Amino acid sequence: MTESLETISSGSPWRDAWKRLRRNNLAVVSLCFLAIMIVAVLIGPSILYWATGFTYDYTPADRELVRSMPPSLLHLMGTDDQGRDMLARVLQGGRISLMVGVISTIVSLIVGVSYGAIAGYFGGRIDNVMMRIVDVIYAIPYILIVIVLLSVFGGPSTPAWIKWLSTTIGGAGNQGLSQLFLLFFALGLVSWLTMARVVRGQILSLKNQEFVMAARATGVGTFGIIFRHLIPNALGPVIVYATLTVPSVMLTEAFLSFLGLGVQAPYASWGSLADIGIKNLAIFPWQLVFPGVTMALTLFSLNFLGDGIRDALDPQTRKF
Amino acid sequence: MARQGYSRVFKGIAALVLTAFVFGCSPPSGGRYFGKTEPPKDNVLRYITGAEPETLDPQIPDGQPEARIFMAMYEGLVEYDPKDQQPIPAIAKSWESNPTLDEFLFHLRDNAKWSDGKAITARDFVYSLRRGFHPDVISRTAQLGFFIKHSEDLKSRNLFVKKNGEFLLAKDFGAPDKETARIGPETEFSKFLHSPARLVLNGDEKKRAQQLAKDPKLAEAVQGAELVPVAPEDIGVEAIDDYTLRITLRQSAPFFLGLFAHQFFRLVPEQSVEKHGKNWTRPQNIVTNGPFRVKEYRPYDVLTLEKDPNYWDAANVHLDGIEFFPIEEQSTIMNLYKAGSIDAMQNHAIPSSWIGEIRNYKEEYLNFPEMAVAYYAMNMTKPPFDDIKIRRAFTLGLDREALSSFRKVTQPLYFMSPTGAFREFDQALAKVSEEKRIEKGISPEEWAKYGKFDPEQARRLLTEAGFPVQKNGDNYACPSFPTDKVAITYNTNESNRSIAEFVQSQWKQHLGITVPLKTMEFKTFLPYFKNLEYDGFAQLLWSGDYVDPFSFLSLEYGKANEGGSGFYDQKFDKMLDDANSELDPQKRNELLARAEFYLMEQAPVVPLTVNATNWIKKPYVKGMYPNPGTLLPWKFVYFERDPAKWDTDVSNIFATRDPKFEKQLEDLKSTQNAPVK
Amino acid sequence: MLSFILRRLLIIIPMALVVVTLTWGLIRLAPGNFYTGEKKLPPAVESTIRKKYGLDEPWYKQYGMMMSNVVRGDFGDSLKYQGQTVNEIIWRHLPYSATIGILAYLLALGIGLLAGTYAAMKQNTVLDFGPMSFAMLGLSVPNFVLAPVLVIFFAFTVYLLPPARWGGPLSLILPVVTLAAIYAAYIARLTRAGMLEVLRSDYIRTARAKGLSDRTILFRHAFRGGILPVISFTGPALAALLAGTVVVEKVYALPGLGDIFIKAVLNRDEPLILGIVAFLSILVMVFNLIVDISYGYLDPRIRYE
Repeated sequence: MTESLETISSGSPWRDAWKRLRRNNLAVVSLCFLAIMIVAVLIGPSILYWATGFTYDYTPADRELVRSMPPSLLHLMGTDDQGRDMLARVLQGGRISLMVGVISTIVSLIVGVSYGAIAGYFGGRIDNVMMRIVDVIYAIPYILIVIVLLSVFGGPSTPAWIKWLSTTIGGAGNQGLSQLFLLFFALGLVSWLTMARVVRGQILSLKNQEFVMAARATGVGTFGIIFRHLIPNALGPVIVYATLTVPSVMLTEAFLSFLGLGVQAPYASWGSLADIGIKNLAIFPWQLVFPGVTMALTLFSLNFLGDGIRDALDPQTRKF
Repeated sequence: MARQGYSRVFKGIAALVLTAFVFGCSPPSGGRYFGKTEPPKDNVLRYITGAEPETLDPQIPDGQPEARIFMAMYEGLVEYDPKDQQPIPAIAKSWESNPTLDEFLFHLRDNAKWSDGKAITARDFVYSLRRGFHPDVISRTAQLGFFIKHSEDLKSRNLFVKKNGEFLLAKDFGAPDKETARIGPETEFSKFLHSPARLVLNGDEKKRAQQLAKDPKLAEAVQGAELVPVAPEDIGVEAIDDYTLRITLRQSAPFFLGLFAHQFFRLVPEQSVEKHGKNWTRPQNIVTNGPFRVKEYRPYDVLTLEKDPNYWDAANVHLDGIEFFPIEEQSTIMNLYKAGSIDAMQNHAIPSSWIGEIRNYKEEYLNFPEMAVAYYAMNMTKPPFDDIKIRRAFTLGLDREALSSFRKVTQPLYFMSPTGAFREFDQALAKVSEEKRIEKGISPEEWAKYGKFDPEQARRLLTEAGFPVQKNGDNYACPSFPTDKVAITYNTNESNRSIAEFVQSQWKQHLGITVPLKTMEFKTFLPYFKNLEYDGFAQLLWSGDYVDPFSFLSLEYGKANEGGSGFYDQKFDKMLDDANSELDPQKRNELLARAEFYLMEQAPVVPLTVNATNWIKKPYVKGMYPNPGTLLPWKFVYFERDPAKWDTDVSNIFATRDPKFEKQLEDLKSTQNAPVK
Repeated sequence: MLSFILRRLLIIIPMALVVVTLTWGLIRLAPGNFYTGEKKLPPAVESTIRKKYGLDEPWYKQYGMMMSNVVRGDFGDSLKYQGQTVNEIIWRHLPYSATIGILAYLLALGIGLLAGTYAAMKQNTVLDFGPMSFAMLGLSVPNFVLAPVLVIFFAFTVYLLPPARWGGPLSLILPVVTLAAIYAAYIARLTRAGMLEVLRSDYIRTARAKGLSDRTILFRHAFRGGILPVISFTGPALAALLAGTVVVEKVYALPGLGDIFIKAVLNRDEPLILGIVAFLSILVMVFNLIVDISYGYLDPRIRYE
């Protein structure tokens, strides 16, 4: 107990968490890497275009250049089969992959955490019904959901807000992007389920603990207990799980691209670039190595950052 | 605590990784051949045929994987020539036809047997065809045989009309009637087939009502008449005796003989089908008549066939068996091949990225033009592609030479039919082309480029059509073109994507128009494409069902055609009809070539590429040829165990002599070439 | 407890029917039909098909027909693979998926629990990051990349293992390792988090105060509570593994259920989709029930009323 008292000195718990996080070297490195990555995918394409004129879909007019070339000073990551600059594609792919991961994870966090917490806290019949609903949705194949969603809402009947989002982010005439936003939606819809289960499990084991009873005794309302006392205490596994969701959503997106339900060509995501790259591994290794390593490092950082945040948020963290 | 134990584990793992790395750095066992190359000891061919077969019933599915399996299990009247897919004798040892090519007489061999030992007679063919055309049998290939008299009527549950004990005749209601010559002896049945055609009413009630409403005279005649459904016994197939079969067509079809080798026309066993119903294809019930019979079937894993001793030509079947593996993943196929676990594979099996390496193995790599093509259909029912100028502009604005060199193995396509797949037709095409050139009065050099890649002309056409193309430095721009109303829609597939991206960049570069891409899962794509819901372009891959350009030209034939552009042109239909009633093959080809030129002027599609066979086989596999449909008659295949006789250069495999194979083929063909008794 | 289990078991059947209903609705909403193919069918054949499968009936009649079959456990014949019943297909291919899946999960449990526990005890040291980095490989490299890389290495560089196809124990190694990689990563992270949570809780502190050894505390006390998140992950994960995993089956050409299911969806093979979904949903719910029961045993704070 004494050890932990040192760390909880003053101020808000979030500032303490930040302090603790900064002491975790690996988490800091991960955080820096992710920050660089985010900045790179946001402004990288513009800088690259300004410096070299390459974009993710720029194909050289010279027929001789329409082939996969190894990395050079001009093309730092080489080119793909169509002669497009791999660096530009990796940056643009990162934009989409990170967006897929983050947006879907936020959807799953919001829905999953509240749902799971409510079910776990109330227990009994409510818990039963709510968890059975989760089981039912869980058992419906998400591929079917995605196919239906994309075909019903894709094409001429795309909802207006999705069109608005895609033209705002991707510029006018980007039909390919509206499918992507449907995808975020679809992936978010299916990835909150496990989150809800995890949270419920945590709440179940927490709700009979003394601090909850104490809070109840002091007259804190039900929602206050859930959102101010239970959820913060269950945040550890939630954050771990959220950082697991990001990569798993990114991988799911890659798999859906492979089925033709993911990102539309000539757009790419890291997953779809890796999928193409693995097929060309024997002859054009740079097509796998660059997107693959970028993706792997990002996921690595996400995972370590997740662990770091978990440790930092844990108010009683200490060495065993 | 327990640290030592754990660290031991990690040391162990590290050691393992290290050893693996050392091994990994050992030089690859490079050599003359790709991967392990050693004929299997047990004389059983290991082949990858693509998707899992839908069923082992030859009359049901239409896929190529099944077609190859059926060729091992079942036999029909004729078989495909291993090299050019022309018909060669199978159960029919010879055949003849009447001068108008609408009736065929087949002389069957008397020693053909089912795998259960029962003799095969002409009646088996009658049974099989009546079953295939029966309306209750859900066959996806039956329409290929609709040239057989009354077969379409049977499939559509159409009706004859009987009044006062007499059938009404079509000629009394305005249908032309033509006399056809009979071949073979006259029978009761042949009298029926050669008498004036009966009147046929549509089997579908709604459509029949329409048919009658259109023609008051017809409606009146049908009033109070008895409607007799067309029966299986009415179709133009007749067993004259045990070993003579006669097949009568409704019109002359010069290409039809080649179709008899198709899986739909192969035999199904009456003894098993009638006894077991839908379960007849189970391994314990199945009866086959091909060179191989089912030994073991593990769906999704392997279909093992063994040589059938009851097969009439068993002495000339070289393999003891075949294992068919249903694998579609291209890199997995390549891995298995490299590991020496398979001997040969289906067509298009080599991933485009591997081609650069694989094509160096000239003992193994088979790259020949295929009877399959890729087009972009243009939706002519929606603007702006209802305008012929726009369609021509996009066709001319695509450098198809560049596309083919980018795709590495395909050839550029400028026509509906695959160039290089039909030799006589190509000659006719060249002849007609020369005539056209003289007509236009331009030089041969200019003509060679005419209608191929002409970006200037394309931009001019666009401008004329109301979408001016501006020059912007090195680039072009066409800001007024409605890019939100067009897209290139294709079903998801690595090579489709790569073609679409290439074409997109070409049009962007030459026309200043960025056409968005749209990929779809196949079953979503199909209705979107067929119901003409797509905007702009949709990819259509087509492989011919028989060795004749009509198999491709018919894509745009008639009102409900499968070309997917919404193209319908009576003049074009007439040209094809005229060609098909022409009996002289050379003249017919010329007529088809003219139709081909006419069609390209209308530009309903952007022809893209002629596909290539693109597969590899081990050099010890002989008697297997990369014919245009990758349809392999398995009884010719054998393992050459003497490495000295292995294939050395398969790029001229068709010209390379193989005495063993040639003798087998000659012996087989001799029965047809010999005069009929 | 017994009545709790009974109640949950009883509810599984109606829930599976709800899942089947929703899936059926989704299939009907999806464009395309099992008989739409590259080449057009003659209209007569199409109408025969529609009649044969009752596609011309109003939707509630079709639903009724489907439901009455499903309730009897008879999903009928596959539409694509004619002459094969759905039940036959599922039971024929389940053993393949189950073998690979269970082996992979056991391997993943071994690696994941070991790495996770070890890391939790050595929090924020090199001994934490080392095992965790190793475990996290599976989460950072997509398995469609990992599988071919493993094949290139073990089948073509060291010639130790066959590159694909089912046959003999050697052929199982690569698929099992590929599949285990992802799950090991998940388990390691969940274990680490769970263990950290438990190691600071009162009862562990009490145990330490009593002077129990690290080993006893770890295995007798902490472990039970620490692996709770893993247990809750195990239910759905194991069910998903039993139902097959598409990428591994494709790359290694294994006749498992996962690839068959994806193909069924892409082919709109309704009875086969419904059959697999019903089977899978029952599996998931049974496993989740087992998870909930084991929660009760592992965590004394949870009670089932």
